[in-house]
Amino acid sequence: MDVGVIVKAALDVNVLRSDPSGRISIESIPLVISEYDRNAIYEGAKICESTGGKLYIYSVLTWGPMERKLKDFENVIREALALGGEEAFTVVDKSINSSEPMYTSEILAKLISKYGSPKLILAGEASTDMTSSTLAPYLAAKLGYNVATFVKELKLGDGYVEVLRDADERLERLSVSLPAVVSVTGEINTPRLPTLIQIRRAFRKPLHKFTLADLGLSPIMSRYEDYKVVTVKRKNVIIEDESLEGVADKLIEHLIQEGVVKR
Amino acid sequence: MKVLVLLDSNKYVSDIHGFIMKAGFSDASLVAVSNVEVSEGFDKVYRVGDVSSDILVKLGSEIGDFDLYLAPHSKKCIEALSFYAGSRGIPIVTEVTDFSIDEGRIYRNILSGRGLVSYKFTTPMAITIATGKFKGSISKTPEIINMDISPSTQLLSTEEKAFGGVDIENADIVVGVGRGFKAKEDLDMAFELAKVLGGEVGCSRPIAADYHWLDEDRWIGISGKKIRGKLYIAIGISGAPQHIMAANDVKVIVAINKDKNAPIFEYADYGVVADLYQFLPVFLERLKTRLGV
Ligand SMILES: Cc1cc2nc3c(=O)[nH]c(=O)nc-3n(C[C@H](O)[C@H](O)[C@H](O)COP(=O)(O)OP(=O)(O)OC[C@H]3O[C@@H](n4cnc5c(N)ncnc54)[C@H](O)[C@@H]3O)c2cc1C
Repeated sequence: MDVGVIVKAALDVNVLRSDPSGRISIESIPLVISEYDRNAIYEGAKICESTGGKLYIYSVLTWGPMERKLKDFENVIREALALGGEEAFTVVDKSINSSEPMYTSEILAKLISKYGSPKLILAGEASTDMTSSTLAPYLAAKLGYNVATFVKELKLGDGYVEVLRDADERLERLSVSLPAVVSVTGEINTPRLPTLIQIRRAFRKPLHKFTLADLGLSPIMSRYEDYKVVTVKRKNVIIEDESLEGVADKLIEHLIQEGVVKR
Repeated sequence: MKVLVLLDSNKYVSDIHGFIMKAGFSDASLVAVSNVEVSEGFDKVYRVGDVSSDILVKLGSEIGDFDLYLAPHSKKCIEALSFYAGSRGIPIVTEVTDFSIDEGRIYRNILSGRGLVSYKFTTPMAITIATGKFKGSISKTPEIINMDISPSTQLLSTEEKAFGGVDIENADIVVGVGRGFKAKEDLDMAFELAKVLGGEVGCSRPIAADYHWLDEDRWIGISGKKIRGKLYIAIGISGAPQHIMAANDVKVIVAINKDKNAPIFEYADYGVVADLYQFLPVFLERLKTRLGV
């Protein structure tokens, strides 16, 4: 059975860049694959291997400016292909400049129904940069598919998937008829690292790029106004001494002085 | 203003009411859809068997349109509210921590807590509310309407998670353990430290979710619990923003890590670069002597 995975080139949360006013410079933050998308790809690859299906990667470059982000974006898609994708369908357009499920889902829905339309679409439980967990269900509604999110176990049945989903206080085992969009947790599997051969092969796999116009969609208007850095001042004191006893004693004195540990 | 509230647990009612009061919507028509008994604070409550993904889609034609759709930031509510928003093309903003109705802005954290983004508040809009940011109570006696809805997904069984009943969100002192610990038994050192300090033990995501060494109510991070006590001691934790940003409101952060380049030190007030297996026994002993325990 063919499976699709939606993949995000996410802002690297470890590389925060901002201007002196505290505005985050989205334009200069590099993009990396959203962490839990790897789990989704691996889960999809396993299903395709056991059923002889094809694994499609779908992605929209959501962060601009396009010219500056294109290279990172392509690297992310190549990584997705190295991890098990067979063919990638992507949208890259100058007018897309923010990552919002409302717009991203509309573009993805068009892309998926036009190219491959697999009956099972997988996603990560949340993107690393926005962490809203809304895209999978929002997209499911747009596609007219069923949905299950935060899935820790996935089994393919005949015309359905059986999933174990995290529902905060409890776990729920559900049977979800296909077609469906399923988002998986970071714990569903341990994604394998691509081998050198897989990485090299990924460069020969088809990577299609479309514009919004190609899909018959109009330019996007963003609702974002500004992004600000959250600053928390910390003392950043590294405690040093010749002996560990000395370090321990100094730490204890600091904690007592701070009033957080009582003698 | 017509407000629809989706609820899957009574523990979130105060967050929801707090949000509505802060917004000045207390006079609004408040309708809840819930699978738990809600006896106060709404004009109408639609009792349903389950907050399934399609519950609002199925109820939609029955209950009509609203200006604002609210829900707590729980996994089932995020799913059902997003699915509904998607079916109607309504914008959705999750885990809202603050807003200003006058300025028409709502706020949420992005980049694992390192950034804050503001959106324009428009109606209709769907919003999930960050836990613990708003508090309130509205007294209204609702009309209860029982609904019989069969969801498109079939619930086969449920499993309760094991919880130790630990409340790290409100603990004054938390000792956090991460993958620097090599075995479950080694966590005893952290439990002893927490005991000496009168605190609780918390952990990074892998300790709870991958290894299952500790219950999930000890999981600290953007997908776990936020802590806000006076002291957090992070031991063998690298300092991924998804973890440490949930300790932003803690007064003093201490990091113990053997890698001097670990990002955790950037987020710490006091750092100890040492192997936890060497440092913790010494620290415990000196602490006990100093505190006289
Ligand atoms: C969407 C999303 C949500 C997430 N949510 C959360 C969340 O809520 N909470 C969370 O914690 N994580 C979360 N994560 C995962 C997060 O990115 C990190 O992977 C995780 O926090 C790492 O846990 P850790 O620090 O215990 O392990 P590691 O990153 O492996 O760090 C272990 C550290 O221990 C140190 N160490 C090793 N041995 C010793 C020793 N003998 N003595 C002293 N130090 C030692 C190492 O130097 C290292 O720094 C999330 C990730 C994503 C993508």
